[in-house]
Amino acid sequence: MSEPKIDQCLDLKGVPCPLNFVKAKLKLEGMDAGSILEVVLDDGEPIANVTASVKEEGHQILRVEKIAECWKLIIKKV
Amino acid sequence: MQKKGYADSELQELRTGGIIKQKQKDYFILRTRIPGGYLKADILKNYSVLAKKYGRGYVHVSTRQGIEIPWIHIKNIPKLLKGLKKLGILKGACGPRSRNLIACPGSSVCRFGLVNTEELARKLDRVAFGRDVPKKFKVAISGCLNSCAKPQENDLGFLAQGEPELDMDKCIGCTLCAKVCEKVCGRGKREPAIVMDNNKRPVALAKGGQTTALRPVYRKENCLFEGDCIRVCPVNAWKLKKAGFAVYIGGKVGRFPKFGEKIADFINELELPKIIENTVRCYNRIAETGVRFGEALEKQDIDLIKKEIL
Repeated sequence: MSEPKIDQCLDLKGVPCPLNFVKAKLKLEGMDAGSILEVVLDDGEPIANVTASVKEEGHQILRVEKIAECWKLIIKKV
Repeated sequence: MQKKGYADSELQELRTGGIIKQKQKDYFILRTRIPGGYLKADILKNYSVLAKKYGRGYVHVSTRQGIEIPWIHIKNIPKLLKGLKKLGILKGACGPRSRNLIACPGSSVCRFGLVNTEELARKLDRVAFGRDVPKKFKVAISGCLNSCAKPQENDLGFLAQGEPELDMDKCIGCTLCAKVCEKVCGRGKREPAIVMDNNKRPVALAKGGQTTALRPVYRKENCLFEGDCIRVCPVNAWKLKKAGFAVYIGGKVGRFPKFGEKIADFINELELPKIIENTVRCYNRIAETGVRFGEALEKQDIDLIKKEIL
């Protein structure tokens, strides 16, 4: 089982919508195409909204994982 | 008050709707209509010109997505009405007629919208607006179950629905679809349509290799057809299988509010003009002057009405 190599991490625990998405978006904009970003998000609205928004921006979501009370989103920048 | 007359032809214009008497002597409100609430910025400027020239420099934005220009003096009405068309401004309705058709922003900009309401509103305005009816008749379109245009409170309402379908090969078993479905279904108010199966199964990873994950199970009978699973799915495993409209009839507010009754699901967009046509005819057939559609429906056999309209 091959794990994607994480290039950057962003902890967005406690960051409300839509600021969490904006922060993820800005982070992605500063990264090279093809690189991988790991984002940690709160349960509830944050994980649902940020996932949908990142997809709408055209990036590829590689994995979505529940970790304890939070979620981990692995995004490949397009 | 200047009693010396207005020509009959001039007064005739007042009867066709769109001109409403103010409580102040000799003053009227010009009610315009904006199908679906979509208005070009250039035309918006023309409203400003008219409001300054004939009104008192302001407008009122109505709850039916129309713009009203108050403080029009009666002597200016014929002149004003003659110029409207050239300015791209459409006259609204009052009295026993069908009103401006309203709509939410729709799929052109809204992330929840399942249909393009702008285009649809413009098309349906031709059949839905200005029809003679026993009292008033309102039509509304909403692009999703959020019901922003409140189709259930209108005499005739169209609510877009989307049926999802799952491509299991793409699914990574993340559980987000089941999570949003639970929320859509009121967190326990209604059995969710998507639940995660307890048996883990192998899923391919995007980067190669595989892992095991839960599998979503779709139970169509519980689905509200809101399409949130499609929107949230990180890998586009959920897709829109078909879109259509739920049809509501007889909704109203006023002193005795009532929600419209749903008479159909997944009606094709192309059927909507016919449904409007049939509903207006039905309303004229069953209701006496001054009676709303919803009130008249109370004495009818809903199954027969359904047949007549659909």
